[in-house]
Amino acid sequence: MAAETASADIPARAMRGETMTRRMFRQARSMRGFQIGLGIFLVLLLAAVVLPEATSLSVTKISVKERFLPPFFLEGGSLAHLAGTDQLGRDLLMRSLIGLRNALGISAASVILMFVLGAGLGIISGYWGRWVDTILMRFTDAQLSVPLIVLAITILGVTRPNFGTIIAVLVLSGWPIYARVARSVTLAERQREYVRGAKILGASDIRVMLVMIAPNVLPPIAFVAVLDVARMMIFEALFGFIGIGVQPPTPTFGNIIADGTKYIVNYWWIPTMPGLLLIVALLSINMMGSALERARNKIFAGI
Amino acid sequence: MAFVLTFLLRRLAQGVIVVFLVSFLIFTLLRLIPGDPVRMMLGTNVSEVTLERKAKELGLRDPIPVQYANYLYNFIQGDLGQSYLLGESGGAAPTAQNKQGGQISAEAEIARDAESKTTRASVFKLIGDGLPYTLQLAGLGLLFTFMVALPLGISGGLKPEKWQARLAFFTGSLLISLPNFWLALVLILLISSNANLLPSIGYKGFAYTLLPAIVLAVELVPVIIRGLSVSIASSTQQGFVDGGIVRGLPWSRIVWRHVIRNASIPMLNMFGVQIGGLLLGGVFVTEYIFDYPGVGKLTIQAVLQRDFPIIQGVAILAAGVLVLVNILVDLVATYIDRRLKY
Repeated sequence: MAAETASADIPARAMRGETMTRRMFRQARSMRGFQIGLGIFLVLLLAAVVLPEATSLSVTKISVKERFLPPFFLEGGSLAHLAGTDQLGRDLLMRSLIGLRNALGISAASVILMFVLGAGLGIISGYWGRWVDTILMRFTDAQLSVPLIVLAITILGVTRPNFGTIIAVLVLSGWPIYARVARSVTLAERQREYVRGAKILGASDIRVMLVMIAPNVLPPIAFVAVLDVARMMIFEALFGFIGIGVQPPTPTFGNIIADGTKYIVNYWWIPTMPGLLLIVALLSINMMGSALERARNKIFAGI
Repeated sequence: MAFVLTFLLRRLAQGVIVVFLVSFLIFTLLRLIPGDPVRMMLGTNVSEVTLERKAKELGLRDPIPVQYANYLYNFIQGDLGQSYLLGESGGAAPTAQNKQGGQISAEAEIARDAESKTTRASVFKLIGDGLPYTLQLAGLGLLFTFMVALPLGISGGLKPEKWQARLAFFTGSLLISLPNFWLALVLILLISSNANLLPSIGYKGFAYTLLPAIVLAVELVPVIIRGLSVSIASSTQQGFVDGGIVRGLPWSRIVWRHVIRNASIPMLNMFGVQIGGLLLGGVFVTEYIFDYPGVGKLTIQAVLQRDFPIIQGVAILAAGVLVLVNILVDLVATYIDRRLKY
């Protein structure tokens, strides 16, 4: 316990036997921004998982009598519908929470996949070099100059947009950045003594890549990937807004906001309240992500 | 000078390859994905025969490599093709209008086809019409971005433990958490509709650029703040800062002449890779939401309507711009830091 408190004061200093990744985590955990972000995120996650199941309010049942109810802090609002109801009398908070659940699922899945795909190809490209490297890098060049949104509408505009296709589009547009970063770190790592030593001892290329380079290279990239979860949530919402996201009646932030836009002048809360919940969720993820990123910078570069 | 020339030539050659690669990828992708542009052009009431005839006439039934070769051949001659749907006057071409009409005789359809061929707008002209608006929006957006991000990012990087850094951090976190389409909606509601301060939908004068530019800037500011404060903070840790103090240089001189100059290299690189793409994507979305008549809105509509020539033209333009920006960035970087090799 005493050792615990002592180390919390000087988090940047390494403890014996502690891996770099652990150190970065400890550094990040000591930051105020990370704690606040984590707190908000856990509350939202819990709410998104538990509340829609626990409540008697239906997110798809239409109730004409209760439509256009304002949020509780306005006149005419009630505590039964904290964020008010939409044009069909459905509870906005519950719909937004389900939207949050969908958004988190889609963005987490897509970031994990693009991380695996991008970092994997990047390590191979950086380690092998030669023609594999050349082809892969020109390919990322080309793909990075096609805006995500064009790619997304092109594909989602004709295929039936569902969880799978949306994740596929996000992965397709997101992997090149990871490939680039992983490749550049691998290039530096490949020349280190330990890699040469392992090769002399007869380690295969696959073994060197998987057992030695990957554990060194990947954690710092994964730290920054947390920020991408938030970015992907924005894209998922944007797709829904343009009409190429998960289709109604499944609530997503995008289609709730798009449906509510028609009523914005008289019933402003319909498009804005879901947006506020989305922003709070994004804020919590971004605060954690930036704290992780700063912790990484502090450990690696001392800033 | 000779170095610069060989550098330019080499990079331009690589850039041309990238642009061709982009155009080929987009070209193939468009044709592999279901969704028939001819159906979009002619509406639902035309016969299968006419449909096929029109598709053949446009070359859409040739093998993809043949189509691409034809496209490249025309492209090298400066012809990006004609829009499938948009007419010369900016509205929909006549062929798109028979969607409501009943079954039309084959002769009438043929006559209509002949008529439409002359009136369909060239992609070159469509892009040329939208480009000034888009450039105006992007320029103003960048101006707003720098006005906010430079002071916050630099002061945050110089004082990593003080309130400046915290301010930069929280501003960045807040702004990056605002979805651009939602922000656009709220700004239209509050500033345009309720307070009547600025106009927003469409374009009837310079004031219509302001709100979209703000939305664009909100997307870019956090990225710049983050990059700037990190690169400034890491450059203040280096030996030349202590050296400057020992030499008795005033702090302001150390900061302006040494720290910022050194920190600008990673910033420039980030500008080439990240900001270019972000700006492009941001322009597309903001133009679409604000109904702003630039290249972005043109593209989004073209994608929704399967108007292949427009999408291809814009993809080539976008890739070309990004390639040029990156070359420019590397040139400027070598000018700022002479140690860098071309």
